[in-house]
Formats: sequence, C-alpha cells, structure tokens
Amino acid sequence: MAGIYIHIPFCKSKCTYCDFASFPKEIGKAEVYFACLYKEIKGKAHLLKGKKINTVYFGGGTPSFVEPKYIYGALKLIYTIFDVDKNAEITLEVNPGTIDENKLKVYKNAGINRFSVGLQSANDETLRVVNRIHNFNDFKKAMELLKDYNTSVDVMLGLPNEEYEDVEKTIKEVVKFSNVKHISCYALKAEEGTPMFTKYLNGELLSEDEVADIYDDTVKLLKEYGFDRYEVSNFCKEGYYSRHNLNYWKRGEYLGVGIGASSFINNRRFTNTESIDDYVKAILSGFTAEVFSEEVEEKDAKGEYAMLNLRTKFGIEFSEYKKIFNSDFKKDFESAIKNNLSYLEIDDKGVKIKDEYLYVQNTILVDFIDF
Amino acid sequence: MAVTKKENIRNFCIIAHIDHGKSTLADRIIEKTGQVAERDMENQLLDSMDLERERGITIKLTPVRMSYKAKDGKDYIFNLIDTPGHVDFTYEVSRSLKACEGAILIVDASQGIQAQTLANVYLALDNDLEIMPVINKIDLPSADPDAVAKEIEDVIGLDGTNAPKISAKVGLNIEDVLEKIVEEIPAPMGDDDAPLKALIFDSYYDNFKGVILFVRIVEGTVKAGTKIKTFMSDKTFDVVEVGTFDPDLRAKDTLTSGEVGYIAASIKSISDIEVGDTVYDVDNPASEPLPGYKKALPVVFSGIYPLDGSKFNDLKEALLKLKLNDAALTFEPDNSTALGFGFRCGFLGLLHMEIIEERLEREFGLDIITTAPSVSYIVHKTDGTVLTIENPTKLPPVVEIDYFEEPVIKANIYSPPEYVGAIMELCQEKRCTFENMVYIDDRRVKLDYYLPLNEVVFDFFDGLKSRTRGYASFDYELSSYKKSDLVKLDIMLNGDICDALSVIVHKDKAYARGRAMAERLKEVIPRQMFEIPIQAAVGGKIIARETVKALRKDVLAKCYGGDITRKKKLLEKQKEGKKKMRKLGTVEIPSEAFTSILKIDSDN
Repeated sequence: MAGIYIHIPFCKSKCTYCDFASFPKEIGKAEVYFACLYKEIKGKAHLLKGKKINTVYFGGGTPSFVEPKYIYGALKLIYTIFDVDKNAEITLEVNPGTIDENKLKVYKNAGINRFSVGLQSANDETLRVVNRIHNFNDFKKAMELLKDYNTSVDVMLGLPNEEYEDVEKTIKEVVKFSNVKHISCYALKAEEGTPMFTKYLNGELLSEDEVADIYDDTVKLLKEYGFDRYEVSNFCKEGYYSRHNLNYWKRGEYLGVGIGASSFINNRRFTNTESIDDYVKAILSGFTAEVFSEEVEEKDAKGEYAMLNLRTKFGIEFSEYKKIFNSDFKKDFESAIKNNLSYLEIDDKGVKIKDEYLYVQNTILVDFIDF
Repeated sequence: MAVTKKENIRNFCIIAHIDHGKSTLADRIIEKTGQVAERDMENQLLDSMDLERERGITIKLTPVRMSYKAKDGKDYIFNLIDTPGHVDFTYEVSRSLKACEGAILIVDASQGIQAQTLANVYLALDNDLEIMPVINKIDLPSADPDAVAKEIEDVIGLDGTNAPKISAKVGLNIEDVLEKIVEEIPAPMGDDDAPLKALIFDSYYDNFKGVILFVRIVEGTVKAGTKIKTFMSDKTFDVVEVGTFDPDLRAKDTLTSGEVGYIAASIKSISDIEVGDTVYDVDNPASEPLPGYKKALPVVFSGIYPLDGSKFNDLKEALLKLKLNDAALTFEPDNSTALGFGFRCGFLGLLHMEIIEERLEREFGLDIITTAPSVSYIVHKTDGTVLTIENPTKLPPVVEIDYFEEPVIKANIYSPPEYVGAIMELCQEKRCTFENMVYIDDRRVKLDYYLPLNEVVFDFFDGLKSRTRGYASFDYELSSYKKSDLVKLDIMLNGDICDALSVIVHKDKAYARGRAMAERLKEVIPRQMFEIPIQAAVGGKIIARETVKALRKDVLAKCYGGDITRKKKLLEKQKEGKKKMRKLGTVEIPSEAFTSILKIDSDN
C-alpha cells in the first residue's frame, strides 16, 4: 500500500495567500516540465517495486489549468509501471474557473475518480479580494459538471472581511450538492512573502482567537450536515475519507514527483527542489531533483507516528503500533501521556486527543515527538 | 636594615569615569613604553574579559609592569594597576589603591568631572595617594580644557593648570603623561632586608600554577623557596615562583620592597588565602599585618537557578570558579518549590549581579534563572528573637513578626540643575528623605538623600536615568537600618504561590506593585491549555488579579502535501521554547517572568 503525489506547479494567477510552488507565468514550460515529470516517475519506479498503489493525487498549483493530455499521460505511465489497485482513489485538484466538459472527458478516460474543488468562499467579493480567478457561479457550473463524481470542496476560514456568517453561508451552499462527500476547512495562514502577510502585519486579519471561534462553530455546523471531523481540517460523510491524506497521517509510504514534492519510502524522507529550472536541469542530466533527504531513526519514527496519528479522530491503536514497532506504546510514551492526561482519551485499545483539544494539539504533540 | 626610596619605581593606578578614556590611555602608556609590540596591541589590553571590552568597563584588576627611559636619562619601572570605575566595585578600587603611591585622574575635556570619579578621588585621597590630573579628549570639538582645568581646582582642590592635555585616542601628548608620572608620583619606600610584608591585592586560579597571588611588596624580599604564610590562615606554602606582569606572568628571581608582582606557591584552593591579607616569611616573620581593606559586604541578594535542574552541579562549579577571583560574591545552596535547587547569591550591587549573571551564561554556557533581587532585612519577632532575612520566602509567618528594619543608603545624586525637579519627584515616590542640595557649579547639582536600598534594587537607577535623560549619576553607601512598615507580596499562579516571585515591599506600595506585577506576568506568561489566574496577595488577601486566557489555536492545520519534515521541524522549534519554561504545578513559566517584574516602572 502506497500513494503517489504529482505536483503541477502552474496556475492562471496567484492567490494572495498562496506560498505553494506554483508559477502563473511559467505555463510555457509545461511541455518540458511534463517530459521531466514522466522521466522522474520512471526513474523512481523501482522505489515502489512490489508495492500496491492505492492512491494517486494531482495537486498544485492548479492541475486543471494545464492541458488535460498531460494528466492523461502521467496516469497512463503510472498504470504501466506501477501496480495500481483497481479501486485506487485517483484525485485531481480543480479550480472552478478552469474546468469544462472536454477536459472532464479526458480526466474520465484517464481514470480520475475523485475531484477536489477549491472554492474557498461563496462570497464573490472575498474571491476577488484574494485574487481567485473564479466566482461562485463558476463553482456552481463546475459542480454541475462533476455531479456524478465523488467530490471534495476546500473552504477557507479567516479570509479577509469574513466572519462566521460568511463561512456558514459558504458551507450551506456547498452541502446542497449531493456529490460533495468531503470538505476541507483550512484556516488562512499569512505566510511570509505573500501579499496576505502584509495584511497580517497591518493587523487587517482576524485574530487567532476569532478564527478559533469560527472553527468551532464550523465543526458544529458540518456535523449537523453529516460531515464528521476525522482530522483537524478534514471532514467527510461516513466512509468518504481522503485516502491519500489518511496515508500521510497513518505514516504510510508515498512517492512525490514534480517540484517541491515530498516522499516517504523505506524509512527515508526526501523532497524535491521548488524551482522549475533546477528541476528540469537535474532530471535532464539524469540526476534526482532531491534537495533534502533524511533517514528516519527508530525513535524519531515512533515520534512521527504518534504526531501524525494523533491528528486524526482515530488516534493511535495500540495493537497497530505494536505490530509496526514491536514495542508498547504506553511504555514508550509514558511521560508524554502522563503530562497530557487531561487532554487525552485513553482506553485499552488506544489513545486519541479529546475533541475539544484537537485545535490546540501542538502543545500536546511536542511531548510526543521528543519523548 | 634601612628604609630607602626605590627611586626607579612608580606604582600607580588610573581613576576615570566610564567612557572618559581610562583603558585607552592605559593602552597608549603600554604602547609608548614598548611593553607590547604595536602589532600585538589588541585594543584595551587591560580589559581581558569579553564582557569588559563590550561594556567598556573594567571589572577585574590587571597589573602591568613597564620600563620607561625618562628625559632625565634614567630608566624607570612603572606598575600600572587598573581599577574598575563603577560604584559597585568601590571595594576593588580600594584594593588597587593600597598597592599604589599615586593615581592618574583622567578628566574628559568636554564633560568635566563626574560623580563616580569624585567618589574614587576621595577614596584615593583617603589612602594618601598623590593625584595627578590628566585632561583627555582634547581632540574633540567640544573640548574645553581650560575650563576643565579650573574645575579640577574648584572641585577637587588640585592644581589643574599643569595637567597634561592629551588625546589618548589619537596618541597626543602621551609623553607628557609619562614624564609627569616620573615627576609627580612618589617613589615607593621600603626596606629589602626587613621581614617580608606583602599585600595581596588580587588573585586568580591558574590551572598549572595554582592560585596566583597579586602582591605589592611593602617590606622585605621574596623569592622561590621562601616559606610563606598569611596572617589570616594557618597554612604554610613554599614559594615556587615569583615574577612580574608584562602583562603576562614573567618569572623573576626576587621581588623586593616597592615592587608589584605575583607569587605562585602551589596554593590549591582560593579559600586558603584572602585578598587584603598580608604574606610573611615563616623563617623571619613580620610582627603585624599591614592594614587590610574595608571588607566588601554583599548588599543585594537574589536566587540563581539552573534552567535545567540537572545542571545544579555545573552552576555550583561555575560559582566556585567565579568566587576565585571575586571575593565579594557570596552564595549558598537554596531551594525553591518553583525553581528547584539553586543558590542564594549576594552581590555588591545591581551591576555586579548583572555581570555575574552574564559571566555564568557566557563563560560557562549556563542557562540560568535569576529571581528578583532583595536586600537584607532585620526581622524582630514577637518572641524577642531577631532574624536577618535575605530571601522573602524565609520570612516567618506574619503573626510572629513584631516589626521589620530595612537597610537605608545615603545616596549622592549628581545632575544638571534642570532635572532637579524630576529627581525630587522620583525620590518622593521612592520613599527618600531629603538631606542636602549643593550647587557644585552652574552646571551641576549634588543632591543627598537617604533612601531604602529596597527601592534602589527595584528600579531606582532605571528611573533616574530615564527621568534625567541619562545625565544624572549617583553613588551610595550603606547608612543604617531603619524600622519600616513592610509586607510580603506573594504571587499566585493558578492558585499556587510561586515562591520565587515573592518580594518584600513597603505596605503603601504593595497594591500598586502587586497590580503591576500581575499585569507584567500576564504579558510574559504564554497562553496555555487552560485559563491561568494570576493573583497578587498580601497576607492571604488578594489585591490584584489578571487572567491569562486559555489557548484557542495552536495547530499546524495546513497539509503541506506530504512534507512531514517541515511539520516536525516546526514542532521541534516549539519544543525548544517549551524546554526553556519552568513548570510550577501545571503552569509553564518562562524564565524571563522572574526578572521581568524588575522592569515594571522603567517604561515611565
């Protein structure tokens, strides 16, 4: 069991909060980028030899912005050289302003069976302010197209000039579409170097407490609509977890290809360069594009396992931990557990962070990464 | 056996206000006498500690021996003994003065004589030293050497007209200084054949030679093989080596009366000798010791704890090492519920305290927590017993206390006249008693006040500096103990008293101080998983309350693709911050909380 992540670093225009590896002006490099991407996939294939692939994820940037033939080509290649499960979850991130019937046809032929649609807000004014390229009407049209597909929608909390009522309105619009089985609610984070950071410095954004209030109310609202929080920022209808992301949180293996992509295979974590030019140069010259690589030692592996699993509502299952590490979780993490007893829910089978402390989990997790 | 004048020796020190160029002049003198090749000159040679160079102050004494061929054609030996400039180190100054016959007084040609300088001049005069004024920084555009020369005469009563007018910085007229040293500073008197009497004016521990004694030979001769003893110790030592400072140790066959040098005698522990004591020859003992120094008593006390409780022994080792060269530092083991095991340390003053803290951190790489400084109180109990309390947590219960006495200092504040109003206002707030006011000249006023030391250790100095834009300076000496209406102010965090934050304050100040401390702590204690009430209490009565709200959002919510490493690093960084906290019950307290409460009024 393993996942594959493919990074598409192109978009039509940059949102004001975005610090991901995505370059609106570089679309001219798409042809050479995908040539390299395919080459990288082939070159890294041996790493996942003998392992079943059960999720593939196209993220970005805006994967739906590039010509769909590139997506098709990538998937075709993956089917040829990897052992892809026939029920694999194959997701493509979509910007509502960049999808049409023709593209969808190609995606369907390629085997995409799940879409993740970046809406962020149903408020056109907000969308304009953060430089989204679509409006709410575009979203509705996109959802009409995707009505037969398992779909996830991204909504942002704490966008400029938005209060809980705006988020509530967005969620209510989103849940009207019956194909939406999954919603991700990420709180806006003003990253250094983005235009949003200036707003943050000018004190124009909501305080952390205000965002926390919105988050709490949103969790409640989503629950009312049958969306259960299974990870800090992820909610779904019964059984519709994002298997790709769950794999991260279960500390499963995955191969990431394309710029900025991270991988975790055979206890090694490695990450590619975030520069398209460096990436192209490295791949064409027959090298890897890795700029970071680290073997995870056993103690760190245990800490990672705890830190990742505790993000989810499932928490840690003692028996699974025992199976992986041949060691007793409660013994290994005795003091971390003791220090955080009031914030944890523990029984014979496992341990998880109490619901009300999930949004302040860092304080708890720091005891588990270094135990 | 005859007392003779050691015509070719001159022992002197330099007195100057901070920044008036003492170390620079010392460097020039050393350079001119060719003691250190110019290429080896590191700026401010005498200030060997990093800390001294950075702060531009001298803390420890470092003697240097130089030879100088004067215009009269004769060769002279100069021993320059450096002195610290700050009031906290008056004790060290008096040590170096005892080893000299004269003192060079440096006065800044644009600023004139400063308070601190004056205090040291009086100290030098008390020790019968010849004062030799030098007017420095005449290269500055604002320099007014003639006015300063007149001021020297008016204020100190020394003839300033013949004082060398120099610029140590650019090396102007340094020769004049050297000639004046020969002319004006008296040669030492001594008898090489008399029984040995050597004054120990400093010491330090050398890893190879053991304790090195810095001595001024007053009478007699000492050499390798001499069996020595001191008056205050029973132990006998065999001298292994004697020598002088160039400024590194340079071995010599003998040291004779009038000379300044060192003695190494395989002394294992610094506690075996005491600075200020007199060394004598066991086989030809002197009958009585030289007059010693005024012993320095610590007046400011605070707790020093290792941030990491397991480093207690490292802290102990470090303090022992500092004590080797700093007789005034005292410490004894202490135990706090909030901070664990540490030491209650005594200092000469706030600067001394700060310097010890910095040296522990820099030279020994220790992370430490320092509690609010306290002074030594006398507590009269209802049963008639009397206690001396330096640590608020050691106070007996209120019902057992009859009354308190607190130390009062006599402060001399020097300031330009335009700030007198501001100073008086500050002194009013600090429970001062006005004593006297004198116009020294039309640019300076001297105000004498009696004020509780308790107020000085809190934030008097900061207040004085900010209200006079840094123009005022002050020095002080302990005057007496005075009956006072004091109370213990406790701080409770989440309902538990944090002993390390307790302070003793005047009853009338308790409410304001309690409120200020609670407000301050609210700023420095980070939000945690639960709400933390901060309460200030006097005798169980709550006088102020603040609340640190519970943490609402502390999560790495973004997915970052599969970049787990990035998440992990962010958490590790957070973990580092957490490690720097002290846990009191369930509350995590950052170490700065313990010192931040000192700075409460400094924003005024």
